[in-house]
Amino acid sequence: MPRWKTDATKIQFMRRLNMPPQIVRLVLLTIGIVAAYLVARYILTPSSFGQYGFYRGNALEEVAARSPVYAGKKSCDECHSEELQLLAKFEHKTLSCEACHGVGQAHVENPDVKFVKMTDHDCLRCHEASPSRPKWLRQITFKEHYKGQRCTDCHVPHQPNEVP
Amino acid sequence: MKKPSTRRHVLGHLGGALAGLLTLPAARQAKAAVQKFFVSSQAPKGYDPTKHKWLMAIDIERCIGCGLCVEACKTENNVPRSSYYFRTWIERYVITKPKPGSGETRGEVMVDSPNGGMNGFSPNSVPRADNILKSFFVPKLCNLCEHSPCAQVCPVGATFDTPDGAVLVDPNYCIGCGFCIQACPYGCRFLNPQTKTAEKCTLCYHRITRGLKPACVEICPSEARIFGDLKNATADDPIQRFFESGKALTMLKPHLGTAPRVQYAGLDKEVR
Repeated sequence: MPRWKTDATKIQFMRRLNMPPQIVRLVLLTIGIVAAYLVARYILTPSSFGQYGFYRGNALEEVAARSPVYAGKKSCDECHSEELQLLAKFEHKTLSCEACHGVGQAHVENPDVKFVKMTDHDCLRCHEASPSRPKWLRQITFKEHYKGQRCTDCHVPHQPNEVP
Repeated sequence: MKKPSTRRHVLGHLGGALAGLLTLPAARQAKAAVQKFFVSSQAPKGYDPTKHKWLMAIDIERCIGCGLCVEACKTENNVPRSSYYFRTWIERYVITKPKPGSGETRGEVMVDSPNGGMNGFSPNSVPRADNILKSFFVPKLCNLCEHSPCAQVCPVGATFDTPDGAVLVDPNYCIGCGFCIQACPYGCRFLNPQTKTAEKCTLCYHRITRGLKPACVEICPSEARIFGDLKNATADDPIQRFFESGKALTMLKPHLGTAPRVQYAGLDKEVR
Protein backbone atom coordinates (compact mmCIF):
# COMPACT_ATOMS: atom_id res chain seq x y z
CA MET A 1 0.00 0.00 0.00
CA PRO A 2 1.25 3.49 -0.77
CA ARG A 3 2.22 5.77 2.09
CA TRP A 4 -0.41 8.31 2.77
CA LYS A 5 0.48 11.90 3.63
CA THR A 6 -2.45 12.17 5.93
CA ASP A 7 -5.25 9.99 7.04
CA ALA A 8 -7.58 12.34 5.22
CA THR A 9 -6.13 11.52 1.76
CA LYS A 10 -6.27 7.79 2.61
CA ILE A 11 -9.90 7.97 3.51
CA GLN A 12 -10.54 10.08 0.42
CA PHE A 13 -8.86 7.43 -1.79
CA MET A 14 -10.82 4.59 -0.27
CA ARG A 15 -14.07 6.53 -0.68
CA ARG A 16 -13.31 7.17 -4.35
CA LEU A 17 -12.60 3.45 -4.96
CA ASN A 18 -15.86 2.79 -3.22
CA MET A 19 -14.46 -0.53 -1.82
CA PRO A 20 -13.69 -1.65 1.71
CA PRO A 21 -9.93 -1.35 2.40
CA GLN A 22 -9.44 -5.08 3.16
CA ILE A 23 -10.84 -5.95 -0.29
CA VAL A 24 -8.49 -3.43 -1.95
CA ARG A 25 -5.55 -5.04 -0.12
CA LEU A 26 -6.59 -8.52 -1.23
CA VAL A 27 -7.00 -7.45 -4.86
CA LEU A 28 -3.57 -5.77 -4.90
CA LEU A 29 -1.97 -8.80 -3.22
CA THR A 30 -3.53 -11.17 -5.80
CA ILE A 31 -2.33 -9.03 -8.68
CA GLY A 32 1.14 -8.96 -7.12
CA ILE A 33 1.29 -12.74 -6.77
CA VAL A 34 0.10 -13.34 -10.35
CA ALA A 35 2.61 -10.82 -11.69
CA ALA A 36 5.45 -12.39 -9.67
CA TYR A 37 4.47 -15.82 -11.04
CA LEU A 38 4.44 -14.56 -14.63
CA VAL A 39 7.81 -12.85 -14.27
CA ALA A 40 9.35 -15.93 -12.61
CA ARG A 41 7.93 -18.17 -15.35
CA TYR A 42 9.37 -15.91 -18.01
CA ILE A 43 12.82 -16.00 -16.47
CA LEU A 44 12.88 -19.74 -15.65
CA THR A 45 11.31 -21.22 -18.83
CA PRO A 46 13.90 -22.11 -21.51
CA SER A 47 13.49 -19.88 -24.55
CA SER A 48 12.69 -22.72 -26.98
CA PHE A 49 10.13 -24.38 -24.70
CA GLY A 50 6.89 -25.12 -26.53
CA GLN A 51 8.38 -24.83 -30.01
CA TYR A 52 7.17 -28.34 -30.96
CA GLY A 53 5.40 -29.46 -27.81
CA PHE A 54 5.64 -29.47 -24.05
CA TYR A 55 9.44 -29.65 -24.06
CA ARG A 56 12.55 -27.70 -24.98
CA GLY A 57 12.71 -27.38 -28.77
CA ASN A 58 16.47 -26.82 -28.72
CA ALA A 59 16.93 -30.33 -27.30
CA LEU A 60 16.31 -31.74 -30.78
CA GLU A 61 19.21 -29.76 -32.18
CA GLU A 62 21.42 -30.71 -29.25
CA VAL A 63 20.74 -34.41 -29.80
CA ALA A 64 21.35 -33.97 -33.54
CA ALA A 65 24.63 -32.13 -32.95
CA ARG A 66 26.60 -35.36 -32.45
CA SER A 67 28.79 -36.19 -35.45
CA PRO A 68 28.24 -39.51 -37.27
CA VAL A 69 30.78 -42.32 -36.88
CA TYR A 70 29.68 -44.54 -39.74
CA ALA A 71 30.16 -42.70 -43.02
CA GLY A 72 27.55 -44.57 -45.06
CA LYS A 73 27.72 -46.25 -48.45
CA LYS A 74 27.22 -42.95 -50.31
CA SER A 75 30.51 -41.60 -48.95
CA CYS A 76 32.32 -44.73 -50.19
CA ASP A 77 30.75 -44.24 -53.61
CA GLU A 78 32.53 -40.90 -54.01
CA CYS A 79 35.93 -42.58 -54.50
CA HIS A 80 35.26 -46.33 -54.84
CA SER A 81 32.34 -46.31 -57.29
CA GLU A 82 33.95 -49.05 -59.46
CA GLU A 83 34.06 -51.49 -56.56
CA LEU A 84 30.48 -50.61 -55.63
CA GLN A 85 29.24 -51.16 -59.19
CA LEU A 86 30.90 -54.57 -59.20
CA LEU A 87 29.47 -55.38 -55.78
CA ALA A 88 25.96 -54.47 -56.98
CA LYS A 89 26.03 -57.37 -59.47
CA PHE A 90 26.51 -60.06 -56.83
CA GLU A 91 24.76 -61.44 -53.80
CA HIS A 92 26.65 -59.18 -51.43
CA LYS A 93 24.96 -56.12 -52.95
CA THR A 94 22.89 -55.56 -49.81
CA LEU A 95 26.01 -55.23 -47.66
CA SER A 96 27.24 -51.86 -46.56
CA CYS A 97 31.00 -51.41 -47.02
CA GLU A 98 31.37 -50.70 -43.32
CA ALA A 99 29.64 -53.97 -42.39
CA CYS A 100 32.86 -55.83 -43.22
CA HIS A 101 35.54 -53.13 -43.41
CA GLY A 102 34.58 -51.37 -40.18
CA VAL A 103 33.93 -47.77 -39.18
CA GLY A 104 34.80 -45.38 -42.01
CA GLN A 105 34.29 -41.75 -41.02
CA ALA A 106 37.97 -41.32 -40.13
CA HIS A 107 38.96 -42.73 -43.55
CA VAL A 108 36.56 -40.36 -45.34
CA GLU A 109 38.10 -37.38 -43.60
CA ASN A 110 41.68 -38.60 -44.14
CA PRO A 111 42.18 -41.34 -46.79
CA ASP A 112 45.54 -42.27 -45.24
CA VAL A 113 43.70 -43.84 -42.31
CA LYS A 114 43.56 -47.55 -43.16
CA PHE A 115 40.95 -50.08 -42.17
CA VAL A 116 41.61 -53.05 -39.93
CA LYS A 117 42.60 -56.14 -41.93
CA MET A 118 39.77 -58.62 -42.22
CA THR A 119 39.88 -62.21 -41.07
CA ASP A 120 37.82 -65.38 -41.55
CA HIS A 121 35.81 -64.27 -38.53
CA ASP A 122 34.24 -61.47 -40.60
CA CYS A 123 32.84 -64.10 -43.01
CA LEU A 124 31.77 -66.52 -40.30
CA ARG A 125 29.88 -63.86 -38.41
CA CYS A 126 27.14 -64.35 -41.00
CA HIS A 127 27.91 -67.66 -42.68
CA GLU A 128 28.65 -70.04 -39.78
CA ALA A 129 25.86 -72.62 -39.80
CA SER A 130 23.17 -72.25 -37.13
CA PRO A 131 19.71 -73.80 -36.88
CA SER A 132 18.36 -70.33 -36.03
CA ARG A 133 19.52 -68.76 -39.27
CA PRO A 134 17.01 -68.52 -42.14
CA LYS A 135 17.32 -71.14 -44.87
CA TRP A 136 17.94 -68.65 -47.69
CA LEU A 137 21.36 -67.79 -46.23
CA ARG A 138 24.35 -69.87 -47.47
CA GLN A 139 25.88 -71.40 -44.35
CA ILE A 140 28.91 -73.59 -43.68
CA THR A 141 30.36 -75.34 -40.65
CA PHE A 142 33.83 -73.84 -40.49
CA LYS A 143 35.41 -76.87 -38.82
CA GLU A 144 34.32 -79.18 -41.64
CA HIS A 145 34.31 -76.88 -44.67
CA TYR A 146 37.77 -77.25 -46.37
CA LYS A 147 39.55 -77.44 -43.05
CA GLY A 148 42.78 -75.48 -42.70
CA GLN A 149 42.13 -73.07 -45.56
CA ARG A 150 41.23 -69.41 -45.36
CA CYS A 151 37.91 -68.22 -46.81
CA THR A 152 39.62 -65.95 -49.33
CA ASP A 153 41.73 -68.84 -50.66
CA CYS A 154 38.66 -69.81 -52.69
CA HIS A 155 36.08 -67.03 -52.33
CA VAL A 156 36.18 -63.41 -53.47
CA PRO A 157 34.20 -61.35 -50.92
CA HIS A 158 33.10 -58.73 -53.47
CA GLN A 159 31.97 -61.44 -55.95
CA PRO A 160 30.65 -64.20 -53.70
CA ASN A 161 28.80 -65.99 -56.51
CA GLU A 162 32.10 -66.80 -58.21
CA VAL A 163 32.62 -69.98 -56.25
CA PRO A 164 35.12 -72.53 -57.66
CA MET B 1 3.04 17.69 -3.64
CA LYS B 2 2.23 14.22 -5.01
CA LYS B 3 -0.88 13.90 -7.09
CA PRO B 4 -3.62 12.08 -5.21
CA SER B 5 -4.28 8.52 -6.44
CA THR B 6 -7.59 8.30 -8.18
CA ARG B 7 -9.41 5.29 -9.57
CA ARG B 8 -8.43 6.52 -13.05
CA HIS B 9 -4.73 6.52 -12.12
CA VAL B 10 -4.79 3.09 -10.51
CA LEU B 11 -6.64 1.54 -13.44
CA GLY B 12 -4.24 3.24 -15.84
CA HIS B 13 -1.21 1.76 -14.07
CA LEU B 14 -2.80 -1.68 -13.97
CA GLY B 15 -3.55 -1.50 -17.70
CA GLY B 16 0.04 -0.56 -18.40
CA ALA B 17 1.36 -3.48 -16.35
CA LEU B 18 -1.00 -5.86 -18.19
CA ALA B 19 0.17 -4.58 -21.58
CA GLY B 20 3.75 -5.09 -20.46
CA LEU B 21 3.03 -8.70 -19.50
CA LEU B 22 1.35 -9.30 -22.87
CA THR B 23 4.52 -8.27 -24.72
CA LEU B 24 6.58 -10.91 -22.87
CA PRO B 25 5.90 -13.77 -25.34
CA ALA B 26 6.98 -11.58 -28.25
CA ALA B 27 10.08 -10.52 -26.35
CA ARG B 28 10.94 -14.15 -25.58
CA GLN B 29 10.57 -15.12 -29.24
CA ALA B 30 12.90 -12.30 -30.26
CA LYS B 31 15.38 -13.42 -27.60
CA ALA B 32 15.29 -17.01 -28.88
CA ALA B 33 15.82 -15.87 -32.46
CA VAL B 34 18.79 -13.70 -31.48
CA GLN B 35 20.28 -16.55 -29.43
CA LYS B 36 19.91 -18.98 -32.35
CA PHE B 37 21.62 -16.51 -34.66
CA PHE B 38 24.68 -16.01 -32.49
CA VAL B 39 25.16 -19.47 -31.00
CA SER B 40 26.71 -21.73 -33.64
CA SER B 41 25.56 -25.34 -33.42
CA GLN B 42 26.96 -28.61 -34.79
CA ALA B 43 23.41 -29.56 -35.74
CA PRO B 44 22.59 -29.86 -39.43
CA LYS B 45 21.05 -26.73 -40.92
CA GLY B 46 17.71 -26.67 -42.66
CA TYR B 47 16.20 -29.77 -41.07
CA ASP B 48 12.54 -29.27 -40.23
CA PRO B 49 11.23 -31.97 -37.86
CA THR B 50 7.62 -31.24 -38.82
CA LYS B 51 8.24 -32.31 -42.43
CA HIS B 52 9.34 -35.88 -41.67
CA LYS B 53 7.93 -38.98 -40.01
CA TRP B 54 10.51 -41.69 -39.57
CA LEU B 55 9.71 -45.32 -39.01
CA MET B 56 11.69 -48.52 -38.63
CA ALA B 57 10.38 -51.94 -39.51
CA ILE B 58 11.90 -55.38 -38.94
CA ASP B 59 11.68 -58.36 -41.27
CA ILE B 60 12.19 -61.46 -39.10
CA GLU B 61 12.71 -63.67 -42.17
CA ARG B 62 15.73 -61.59 -43.16
CA CYS B 63 17.54 -61.40 -39.80
CA ILE B 64 20.55 -63.70 -39.73
CA GLY B 65 21.62 -62.90 -36.16
CA CYS B 66 25.09 -61.61 -37.04
CA GLY B 67 24.97 -58.91 -34.35
CA LEU B 68 26.52 -56.23 -36.54
CA CYS B 69 23.65 -53.84 -35.78
CA VAL B 70 24.23 -54.12 -32.03
CA GLU B 71 27.91 -53.40 -32.43
CA ALA B 72 27.28 -50.55 -34.88
CA CYS B 73 24.79 -48.98 -32.46
CA LYS B 74 27.27 -49.11 -29.59
CA THR B 75 30.05 -47.63 -31.72
CA GLU B 76 27.89 -44.93 -33.28
CA ASN B 77 26.27 -43.76 -30.06
CA ASN B 78 29.12 -44.39 -27.63
CA VAL B 79 27.03 -46.83 -25.58
CA PRO B 80 28.99 -48.47 -22.74
CA ARG B 81 30.49 -51.77 -23.94
CA SER B 82 29.39 -53.70 -20.85
CA SER B 83 26.67 -56.27 -21.43
CA TYR B 84 23.96 -54.34 -19.55
CA TYR B 85 23.56 -51.34 -21.83
CA PHE B 86 21.88 -51.60 -25.21
CA ARG B 87 19.93 -49.25 -27.42
CA THR B 88 19.22 -52.18 -29.72
CA TRP B 89 19.79 -55.89 -29.23
CA ILE B 90 18.92 -59.23 -30.79
CA GLU B 91 17.04 -62.06 -29.11
CA ARG B 92 17.25 -65.66 -30.28
CA TYR B 93 14.07 -67.69 -29.97
CA VAL B 94 14.28 -71.48 -30.03
CA ILE B 95 11.04 -73.47 -29.97
CA THR B 96 11.62 -77.18 -29.51
CA LYS B 97 9.49 -79.98 -30.86
CA PRO B 98 6.78 -81.19 -28.45
CA LYS B 99 7.39 -84.35 -26.45
CA PRO B 100 5.95 -87.33 -28.31
CA GLY B 101 2.49 -88.17 -26.99
CA SER B 102 2.09 -84.88 -25.09
CA GLY B 103 -0.64 -83.75 -27.49
CA GLU B 104 0.86 -80.26 -27.72
CA THR B 105 1.82 -78.56 -30.94
CA ARG B 106 4.93 -76.92 -29.52
CA GLY B 107 7.58 -77.76 -26.98
CA GLU B 108 9.61 -75.45 -24.80
CA VAL B 109 10.34 -71.84 -25.82
CA MET B 110 13.88 -70.69 -25.08
CA VAL B 111 15.01 -67.10 -25.43
CA ASP B 112 18.58 -65.88 -25.06
CA SER B 113 20.57 -62.81 -25.95
CA PRO B 114 24.24 -63.33 -24.95
CA ASN B 115 25.78 -59.85 -24.72
CA GLY B 116 22.80 -58.54 -26.67
CA GLY B 117 23.81 -60.70 -29.61
CA MET B 118 26.71 -58.37 -30.27
CA ASN B 119 29.23 -61.19 -30.78
CA GLY B 120 26.81 -63.47 -32.55
CA PHE B 121 25.09 -66.57 -31.19
CA SER B 122 26.83 -69.86 -30.58
CA PRO B 123 24.97 -72.72 -32.28
CA ASN B 124 26.24 -75.02 -29.50
CA SER B 125 24.07 -73.50 -26.76
CA VAL B 126 20.77 -74.64 -28.32
CA PRO B 127 19.28 -78.14 -28.70
CA ARG B 128 20.30 -80.26 -31.67
CA ALA B 129 18.86 -79.10 -34.99
CA ASP B 130 16.57 -82.15 -35.37
CA ASN B 131 14.98 -81.29 -32.00
CA ILE B 132 14.09 -77.73 -32.99
CA LEU B 133 10.64 -76.95 -34.34
CA LYS B 134 11.37 -73.33 -35.14
CA SER B 135 14.14 -70.88 -34.40
CA PHE B 136 14.62 -67.26 -35.38
CA PHE B 137 16.15 -63.95 -34.33
CA VAL B 138 14.22 -60.89 -33.15
CA PRO B 139 16.01 -57.53 -33.26
CA LYS B 140 14.63 -55.19 -30.63
CA LEU B 141 14.80 -51.43 -30.32
CA CYS B 142 12.69 -48.50 -29.10
CA ASN B 143 9.18 -49.18 -30.39
CA LEU B 144 8.56 -45.46 -31.08
CA CYS B 145 5.22 -45.54 -29.29
CA GLU B 146 2.50 -43.14 -30.29
CA HIS B 147 1.54 -42.89 -26.59
CA SER B 148 4.94 -43.32 -24.96
CA PRO B 149 4.68 -44.31 -21.30
CA CYS B 150 8.29 -43.18 -20.84
CA ALA B 151 7.47 -39.63 -21.93
CA GLN B 152 4.36 -39.58 -19.74
CA VAL B 153 6.13 -40.44 -16.49
CA CYS B 154 9.12 -38.11 -16.80
CA PRO B 155 8.78 -35.67 -13.88
CA VAL B 156 10.88 -32.96 -15.54
CA GLY B 157 9.68 -33.26 -19.13
CA ALA B 158 13.12 -34.34 -20.29
CA THR B 159 11.82 -37.04 -22.64
CA PHE B 160 9.31 -36.44 -25.36
CA ASP B 161 7.91 -37.55 -28.73
CA THR B 162 9.33 -35.41 -31.50
CA PRO B 163 7.14 -34.39 -34.46
CA ASP B 164 9.29 -36.55 -36.77
CA GLY B 165 8.57 -39.80 -34.94
CA ALA B 166 11.55 -40.24 -32.63
CA VAL B 167 11.36 -40.38 -28.83
CA LEU B 168 14.30 -38.44 -27.45
CA VAL B 169 15.89 -37.67 -24.09
CA ASP B 170 17.08 -34.16 -23.33
CA PRO B 171 20.39 -34.94 -21.58
CA ASN B 172 20.63 -31.44 -20.09
CA TYR B 173 17.30 -31.75 -18.29
CA CYS B 174 17.27 -35.47 -17.39
CA ILE B 175 17.78 -35.88 -13.64
CA GLY B 176 18.45 -39.63 -13.87
CA CYS B 177 15.55 -40.68 -11.65
CA GLY B 178 14.89 -43.79 -13.73
CA PHE B 179 11.09 -43.53 -13.88
CA CYS B 180 11.15 -43.87 -17.67
CA ILE B 181 13.31 -47.00 -17.43
CA GLN B 182 10.64 -48.58 -15.21
CA ALA B 183 7.83 -47.34 -17.44
CA CYS B 184 9.08 -48.70 -20.76
CA PRO B 185 7.34 -52.07 -21.25
CA TYR B 186 9.91 -53.07 -23.88
CA GLY B 187 13.00 -52.54 -21.71
CA CYS B 188 14.49 -50.16 -24.23
CA ARG B 189 16.02 -47.69 -21.79
CA PHE B 190 19.01 -47.69 -19.47
CA LEU B 191 20.82 -45.29 -17.18
CA ASN B 192 24.18 -44.42 -18.65
CA PRO B 193 26.74 -45.00 -15.86
CA GLN B 194 28.97 -42.20 -17.15
CA THR B 195 26.48 -39.40 -17.78
CA LYS B 196 23.94 -40.62 -15.17
CA THR B 197 21.13 -39.81 -17.56
CA ALA B 198 18.56 -42.08 -19.23
CA GLU B 199 19.47 -43.18 -22.74
CA LYS B 200 17.64 -44.93 -25.49
CA CYS B 201 17.47 -45.44 -29.23
CA THR B 202 17.26 -42.01 -30.89
CA LEU B 203 16.79 -43.53 -34.36
CA CYS B 204 20.34 -42.13 -34.74
CA TYR B 205 18.83 -38.66 -34.72
CA HIS B 206 22.19 -37.10 -35.58
CA ARG B 207 22.35 -39.29 -38.70
CA ILE B 208 18.79 -39.06 -40.01
CA THR B 209 18.85 -35.25 -39.75
CA ARG B 210 21.90 -35.34 -42.04
CA GLY B 211 20.25 -37.61 -44.60
CA LEU B 212 22.03 -40.77 -43.45
CA LYS B 213 20.37 -44.00 -42.36
CA PRO B 214 20.58 -45.07 -38.69
CA ALA B 215 23.79 -47.00 -38.00
CA CYS B 216 22.02 -50.34 -37.51
CA VAL B 217 20.11 -49.98 -40.79
CA GLU B 218 23.24 -48.88 -42.62
CA ILE B 219 25.19 -51.87 -41.35
CA CYS B 220 22.54 -54.62 -41.60
CA PRO B 221 23.86 -56.99 -44.28
CA SER B 222 20.55 -58.69 -45.01
CA GLU B 223 18.06 -55.79 -45.13
CA ALA B 224 16.29 -57.09 -42.04
CA ARG B 225 15.94 -53.53 -40.78
CA ILE B 226 13.88 -51.28 -43.00
CA PHE B 227 13.90 -47.56 -42.41
CA GLY B 228 12.18 -44.69 -44.14
CA ASP B 229 10.35 -41.40 -44.04
CA LEU B 230 6.59 -41.90 -44.24
CA LYS B 231 5.97 -38.29 -45.23
CA ASN B 232 8.42 -38.35 -48.15
CA ALA B 233 8.25 -41.99 -49.27
CA THR B 234 8.84 -42.60 -52.96
CA ALA B 235 7.71 -45.71 -54.84
CA ASP B 236 11.09 -47.47 -54.57
CA ASP B 237 11.64 -46.45 -50.95
CA PRO B 238 12.47 -49.51 -48.80
CA ILE B 239 9.71 -48.72 -46.30
CA GLN B 240 7.18 -48.26 -49.11
CA ARG B 241 8.17 -51.61 -50.69
CA PHE B 242 7.99 -53.25 -47.27
CA PHE B 243 4.41 -52.07 -46.70
CA GLU B 244 3.38 -53.03 -50.24
CA SER B 245 4.93 -56.51 -49.97
CA GLY B 246 1.75 -57.81 -48.35
CA LYS B 247 3.58 -59.32 -45.37
CA ALA B 248 1.51 -59.73 -42.21
CA LEU B 249 2.64 -56.98 -39.84
CA THR B 250 2.50 -57.12 -36.06
CA MET B 251 3.68 -54.95 -33.22
CA LEU B 252 5.09 -55.88 -29.82
CA LYS B 253 2.63 -55.89 -26.90
CA PRO B 254 -0.19 -54.05 -28.72
CA HIS B 255 -2.57 -54.77 -25.81
CA LEU B 256 -0.74 -52.26 -23.58
CA GLY B 257 -2.19 -49.32 -25.47
CA THR B 258 1.18 -47.71 -26.09
CA ALA B 259 0.52 -47.81 -29.86
CA PRO B 260 4.03 -48.99 -30.82
CA ARG B 261 4.94 -47.86 -34.34
CA VAL B 262 7.78 -50.29 -35.09
CA GLN B 263 6.38 -52.95 -37.41
CA TYR B 264 7.51 -56.57 -37.40
CA ALA B 265 6.95 -58.87 -40.38
CA GLY B 266 6.80 -62.61 -39.79
CA LEU B 267 6.74 -62.39 -36.01
CA ASP B 268 5.92 -65.58 -34.13
CA LYS B 269 3.17 -65.41 -31.53
CA GLU B 270 5.62 -66.42 -28.80
CA VAL B 271 7.55 -63.16 -29.10
CA ARG B 272 6.90 -60.71 -26.30
